[in-house]
Amino acid sequence: MISKEYRFEAPRDLGQALSLLEKYGDDAKVLAGGMSLVPTMTLGLVQPDVVISLNHIPNLDYVREEGNVLKIGALTRHDTIRKNELVKRHCPLLAEAAACIGDVQIRHRGSIGGSIAHADPAADYPPVMLTLGAQFRLQRTKSDRTVPASAFFRDLMQTALEGAELATEIQVPKLPSGAGSAYLRLHRVEGNFAIVAAAAVVEKGFKSVRVGLAGVGPKAVLVDVTSRFKGGLDDAAVKGVREDAAKASVDAYGDLNGDADYRRAMAQVYAERAVRAAVSRVR
Amino acid sequence: MKYIGQSVPALNNRQLAAGKGTFVADIQPDGTLHMAVVRSPYAHARIRGIDTKAAEAVPGVVYVITGKEIRENMNPIMEAYDTAAMGAKGVKWYALCPERARFVGEAVAAVVAEDKWTARKAADLVDVDYEELPVVHDPEEAMKPDSPLVEPEWGDNILVTRDFRTGDVDQAFKEADGTISGVVKTQRYTGAAIEPRGYLANYDPFQDLLTFWASTQNPHPMRVFLAETLGIPETTIRVIQPHVGGGFGLKIPTFQEEPLLAYLARKLARPIKWIEERTENLLVGGHAREERLYYEAAYKQDGTVIGLRAKVIADVGAPSALCGWGQSFVTSYCIPTVYKIPNNRVQLFSVVTNKCPWNAYRGYGKEAASFLMDRIMDGVAKATGLGRPEVRLKNYIQPEEFPYSQVSGAMLDSGNYPKALKRVLQMIDYENFPKMQAEARKQGRYIGLGIGQELTPEGCSMPRSTLLSGYDGATVRVNPSGQVTVLTGVTSPGSGNETAMAQIAADMLGVDIKLVKVIQGDTDTCPYGLGNYSSRSVIMGGSAVQMAATEIRQKMLKVAAKMLEVGPDDVEVADGKFSVKGAPTRFVLFKEVASTVYRHCYGPEACDVEPGLESTRYFRHPNVYHQPETQGRFSSYPSWPNQAVACIAEVDPETGVVKVLRYCAVHDSGVVVNPLMAEANLHGGIVQGFGGALYEHLVYDEAGQLKTTTFMDYTCPTAVDVPRMEVEHQETPSPFTPLGTKGVGESGVTGPLGSLCGAIENALPHLDLRLSEMPLTPHRVWRAVREAQAHGGRA
Repeated sequence: MISKEYRFEAPRDLGQALSLLEKYGDDAKVLAGGMSLVPTMTLGLVQPDVVISLNHIPNLDYVREEGNVLKIGALTRHDTIRKNELVKRHCPLLAEAAACIGDVQIRHRGSIGGSIAHADPAADYPPVMLTLGAQFRLQRTKSDRTVPASAFFRDLMQTALEGAELATEIQVPKLPSGAGSAYLRLHRVEGNFAIVAAAAVVEKGFKSVRVGLAGVGPKAVLVDVTSRFKGGLDDAAVKGVREDAAKASVDAYGDLNGDADYRRAMAQVYAERAVRAAVSRVR
Repeated sequence: MKYIGQSVPALNNRQLAAGKGTFVADIQPDGTLHMAVVRSPYAHARIRGIDTKAAEAVPGVVYVITGKEIRENMNPIMEAYDTAAMGAKGVKWYALCPERARFVGEAVAAVVAEDKWTARKAADLVDVDYEELPVVHDPEEAMKPDSPLVEPEWGDNILVTRDFRTGDVDQAFKEADGTISGVVKTQRYTGAAIEPRGYLANYDPFQDLLTFWASTQNPHPMRVFLAETLGIPETTIRVIQPHVGGGFGLKIPTFQEEPLLAYLARKLARPIKWIEERTENLLVGGHAREERLYYEAAYKQDGTVIGLRAKVIADVGAPSALCGWGQSFVTSYCIPTVYKIPNNRVQLFSVVTNKCPWNAYRGYGKEAASFLMDRIMDGVAKATGLGRPEVRLKNYIQPEEFPYSQVSGAMLDSGNYPKALKRVLQMIDYENFPKMQAEARKQGRYIGLGIGQELTPEGCSMPRSTLLSGYDGATVRVNPSGQVTVLTGVTSPGSGNETAMAQIAADMLGVDIKLVKVIQGDTDTCPYGLGNYSSRSVIMGGSAVQMAATEIRQKMLKVAAKMLEVGPDDVEVADGKFSVKGAPTRFVLFKEVASTVYRHCYGPEACDVEPGLESTRYFRHPNVYHQPETQGRFSSYPSWPNQAVACIAEVDPETGVVKVLRYCAVHDSGVVVNPLMAEANLHGGIVQGFGGALYEHLVYDEAGQLKTTTFMDYTCPTAVDVPRMEVEHQETPSPFTPLGTKGVGESGVTGPLGSLCGAIENALPHLDLRLSEMPLTPHRVWRAVREAQAHGGRA
């Protein structure tokens, strides 16, 4: 249970939220969907003095199309992303991943902003963000910058967010027409974190073949295997995918679900399977 | 029979589905205080001192207590099993450790406060000065002479040993055509009931009455344990068991928190509540199952197993007052289960370690014995080249050989194992499976078929035990207006046996089941009984209901006969009417007879019978033998349900992921009172079996720290992960119970273990896979596949 008393702030606009974050600094934690924060507080792993809820700020929950990019508000819930027509049409990989997060209850509360800021090594969005080449808008009272996903995920649950910064928007480039994509994950029971996950995109003509991998190290990793596909999807390409996936999982960790050897092996299996599935969906 | 044998929907369904059940957490008298427990963070540590000042200073804190006060004011917790009578070593286990903690989570202090958050906050401020001691974490290491000791006074880490022998096992191994050997390792896991433990204790000093609401399985024994432990008369305690959200044996007393809360309530004379958190439940709510079974089997080329050596090494956790360690004894007691093996030696070593103590968990050790035999039969089949069904059929105890005395002296009552196996093989279409398998191979898929056999003795009864005995009582009362009240000494942990009791009473009395009300779980109103465990509720409790209801029926028949002016032998009762046999238009209503007895006891119809329509009777199961000197045997389980299972599973050798495609079971619990509820119970048991086979594992590290303290890490199968189950019933009645019932509560948990190992091995015949370590996680299966591949396929 949460036995330590804390101050609860419910700002009504983004500016107020950013000021509060500036004011309280490390003493505060941000509450979006709460699907990561609340369990850590309940278990006593984190005991903030202040909780700043973003849930009363309007206009943080949206999916918009702007030219070649989909812009998604940080408070957009996973279930919204799963069902959204724009996402399904232009970034089906993102919808596919959103559908896998936790369970129905978690998907209705959890937010994309909260998930990427938390940066769990086994989370579902990070590998997808890397594969899609997403960018994140990070705001604080004095600045407003955009950081690519590749620079955002730094280390085990560590991101480029500086102190009083909030991720406010996720910008995802649309997939080129005809591209195939697939998200596959290995997990124990329904609702659990992935042991490993692979998010693959294959562009028409094998112009680009990329796989984002989660669960293979302290952070998600992007493996670009385009050069392996000069001859299309042949034995050499598959071998190449596995080799590159193995290299990318050199920092794989072991836990109750399996040791580092197992994760490295599964990274290779899932990278291959995700790429094959993506190939089969190329139109 | 109108109701017995029918699928009557459970009486409590609407209430529970509406969320209107009353669980301990719902009970909230005015002024209820809350307790939080301070627990040892170390697996083994001496308590040098406890500073409670900071905790006491927190506003809203009412009292802080440590082990010193407990030891000065209370006895050690009364044991569920008399360890001395069983030839086992025991300990003095106090409600709070006064000197030394022997597992992470053991209770060392407690805080009572106005609300649970304040109690927890203050508990976190209790400053305990610990001196860490060496940790015993592996049972085989613990058996070595230079191992640190969990209990210094013991001299070693062995709680109990056994050595059962029949025939001449050394000679059998000399005469064998071949032998197989290996080890089967079951993991530590638990039941994870949806409702964790919780109690509310309230003391009235004017009446000198402690009322103790408990999510428990055994209110009357709990009353005895609390009385003994607190050193107060039983008659000053009332235990009430409200609705319980699952127990599975894990809520059998006595845990530290029970006498602790009772003591505090008496001291403070205010109601105090304690509902544990899930992490506490996984940490200290009772563990089970961690065993290593070493075996050697000697066989003849025709598949007969002529000799068996088995050594059971059980890691029972730290010694306590709980009855869990008995599970290791039961594993050794059940070997070789359903098979007739003439020469055996079965050894048991129950070893203590610095881990959470075992408590009873559905299966109670029987699952390991059956799992072992499944692996042995599969192994003999592989070694001889015979079919796996063939080897089992060759070695079964035959139906006409019952009652059958097993190696340990266990007296198996009845069964037809060959019939059940043959039927389950038909259900799963064993004959055509090789074709299915070949088709799947063409698609690049690996599927396999495995067989399992359960033997699940029920009705556990031990000499000189407050908790475990083969008797129970029931009161049946016909009220003046003809409605029926049944009060039982058995209880329901959420399994719904109260419905079965109503069915039995309604049939014995010939009334509509809607007129029957069942009351359970209150020591003030229900006759003394032992509660629920070992599937005894229908066997013992139902039989007592049958006896009491029959006694009242006989009395009412006499009165009805007088009212109808015929002899009692000419009257029968059904559908609420006592009528003349052969002349159904001549009848009196059930309620008219009741009215006559209550209101006209001096009149001609009722003057020859004792007034009142209330009977309390006790049933004692005849198939229990506790006097070996005069009876020539010792047998403590009267009733032996069994089950044959078969499953088809798909394996992905690249990832180790196993998916169960079909699961079939033919189950025999003798006569079944309520098929719907029996089936529901079986489904639950089978799901827990899958949990144990594939998913659940309580993992400790070498420092004795539990790594799986939430459901994120302790992965229980969800509804999505559970395969379709196909269950059929076979009824080989028990010759010993009035209704022929055997109990169904623990069946289902065993079958998945051996059948899944067999199915995975069968799916990958090109590999010499010998699965022996559970659970069958993808990682473990993957590793076994890799190792078999490294050894180049079939040896």
